[in-house]
Amino acid sequence: MKTTQHIIWVLACLCLLTACHEKEEVAYSMDPVENIEALWQIIDTRYCYVESKGVDWNSIHDVYIAKASKLPKNDPIALFDLCAQMLDTLKDGHVNLYTPFDRSRCSSWYDKYPANYDAQLQQLYLRDHRIAGSLYYCTLAHDSIGYIYYSSFSNAFSAANLYWIFKAFAGCRGLIIDVRNNGGGDLTNAYQLASPFFSENRIVGYWQHKTGTGHNDFSSLEALYADTSLVKIRWKRPVVVLCNRHSYSATNSFVSMMRYADNAVIVGGVSGGGGGMPMSYEMPCGWTVRFSSVRMYDRDKKDIEQGITPHVLVDMVSTDKDDIIEKAIQLIKN
Amino acid sequence: MRRIITILIISVCSVICVMANDSIVHTNVLKVKFGTGYQLDTYLSPLAYTGWQVGIGNEWWQPFRQDTRLGRTGRLADWAHVGKLDVSGSRNINSAHSNLAYAIECVGGWGAFYNWRWLDNRLKVFLGPYMEAGFTVRYISVNVNKPLSLDIGTEVMAMSGISWSFYGKNTSYRLNYQIRTNLIGMDYIPDYWQSYYEMSEGVLGKFRCSGHWNHHTVKHELTLDMQFPHSTWRVGAEHQYVNYGNAYTRFVRHQMNIVIGCIWNYHIKANKKL
Repeated sequence: MKTTQHIIWVLACLCLLTACHEKEEVAYSMDPVENIEALWQIIDTRYCYVESKGVDWNSIHDVYIAKASKLPKNDPIALFDLCAQMLDTLKDGHVNLYTPFDRSRCSSWYDKYPANYDAQLQQLYLRDHRIAGSLYYCTLAHDSIGYIYYSSFSNAFSAANLYWIFKAFAGCRGLIIDVRNNGGGDLTNAYQLASPFFSENRIVGYWQHKTGTGHNDFSSLEALYADTSLVKIRWKRPVVVLCNRHSYSATNSFVSMMRYADNAVIVGGVSGGGGGMPMSYEMPCGWTVRFSSVRMYDRDKKDIEQGITPHVLVDMVSTDKDDIIEKAIQLIKN
Repeated sequence: MRRIITILIISVCSVICVMANDSIVHTNVLKVKFGTGYQLDTYLSPLAYTGWQVGIGNEWWQPFRQDTRLGRTGRLADWAHVGKLDVSGSRNINSAHSNLAYAIECVGGWGAFYNWRWLDNRLKVFLGPYMEAGFTVRYISVNVNKPLSLDIGTEVMAMSGISWSFYGKNTSYRLNYQIRTNLIGMDYIPDYWQSYYEMSEGVLGKFRCSGHWNHHTVKHELTLDMQFPHSTWRVGAEHQYVNYGNAYTRFVRHQMNIVIGCIWNYHIKANKKL
C-alpha cells in the first residue's frame, strides 16, 4: 500500500510541473509608447555603436516617448514615421525599419559625398562584356587589362566563374575590380572574391560581438582570415579595386581586406562604411528592425564603420569618360 | 533482380516465422501525429509564434530478456524497456501575423521501467529512467543574419505512467497515460548577440549542464489502444512543454498533438539475436 501511495505522489508532482509555464513573450501591440520603448530597448541593448556614434541615447528615449504618447493608437503610418525619425539619429545605413508598407532608410552617410559613378559612362567600358555568375567582365585598353564589375554581394558567383574569368584575362597585365555602387550583401561572397588575391592565409581584420546589454559589453577581438585553402586559381598580377561612397557593408569589408592583398591598390572615393554586421529583431507590432550588431575592424584593429580611404583618391569630373577607371588603367600600365 | 527479391522475401518470412514461435513479446507502434504548437525563441524574436505541425514516430517496448546472466537471477522479471523516435515539422506565424517560422524536430530516446501490476495484470503502474536526445532547427523567414536557431540537447528523464486494460464486446482496450520530465542533461544556448556566421564557431562552448533549475521539459501522452480481431490501433493525444534559457534568451515550446498509430506485436525467442 505504501508503494502505491509513493507512486501516486510521484505522478501528482510530475503533473504539477506542467503548470510552470510563465508568459515570457512580448505580446502583440500597436501601442505607440510600447513600440517606441521596445525599439529604444532593442537599440540600447543590441546596437553595437551606441557609444561610438556619440548619440545621447538616454535623452532620445525621453524625447521620443513623449512624442509617442501624443500619437493616436491606431495610426501605423504615424508610428512608423516616428520610429524612423528616432532611428535616423544614429546616421547608420544598416539601421532600417521594415514594415509591410514602407522601409525606413538613412541617407546622411552618403549625401555629402560625390557620386563617383555613372552607369552610362560605365557602359562605354562594358560594351563587349560577358557575365559569369553575377560578375560582368571584359577586357580594356586593347585587351591588356581585365575589368570585372560586381554590382551586389547579395548575388552569388562560383569558383568556376572566377576560374573562367581569370582564364579569359590570362594575357592581361592587370585587373580592375569595380565595386562602386555595390551596396553589400553576403560577407561570404566578399571573402570568396578576395581570397584569390592572397598568396597565403592572412589576417585581414577582426570582429567582436556584444556579450551583454551594456553599451561596451563586447567579446574579445576574433581574427578574420583570407582563406586561400579553397582557392582554385590565384591572381598574382596587379589588381586595382574601385570604390565610392556607395560601396557599403560587405563591399566595405571587401575593400578593407583587399588593402592587404598582394599587388592591390584601392582607387576612387571613400567607401561607404557600414562596418557593423547587421542583424534584425522584431517589435511588438511585428515590424522588423535591422541594426548593426557586430563590430568589424581592419587588420590594424581600426573600426571600419566610417569607411575606407583609398590609396588613390580620385573624383569623377569628366563627362565623356570614367575618370576612376581611367586612373586604374593608368596605374596598371605604369 | 527477381531472384534477389525472392530471397529477400523468403528471408523476411523465415525470420517472422521464427519470431512467431518465440517467447518475448515485442510491441511496436508506428504513429502519425498532427496538432498545434506554440513557440517562443527570443534569440530570433521576442514575439510568440503559433501554428500547426505534423510528424511521424515509432515506439517499441518489450520486457527485458530473461536469458541473460542478470535475467536469470529473476531481478529483471518486472522490468521492461522502451524506445522512441519522432520526427516532426511545424509552420508557425507570429502574433502580429508579419513573419513565419518553420521548424524540424527529431527526438529519440530509450528508457527502462519497473512495472507494478494489479487486478490480474490489467492495471499497471510503471516508473523508470529515460534518456532522450534531440535537435530542432528553427528557421525564421524575415531576418538579417539570424535565420536559424538550434535546440540541441540530451536529457536523463524520469518516466512514469499507468495502464489499464479492459474489455468491450468484441474489442479489448488499453488506456495509457505516460509522463516524462527531465532530471539532468545538457542543452545548447547560442549567445544572444551572435549572428549565424559566428554560431558555427565555438558551438561546443555554448553547451551547459541543464536540470530542473534551468530547464523544464514535461511530456504527457494519453492514449487508447484498441485491439480488433485482426489489428490493433492507437488513438490519443500528447502534450509537450519545454522551457529553458538564460538571462537573455528564452526558448519555450508547447505542442499538443493528436496521435493515430498502428500497433503490432511479435515474439522474440530466447537466445536469438535480432
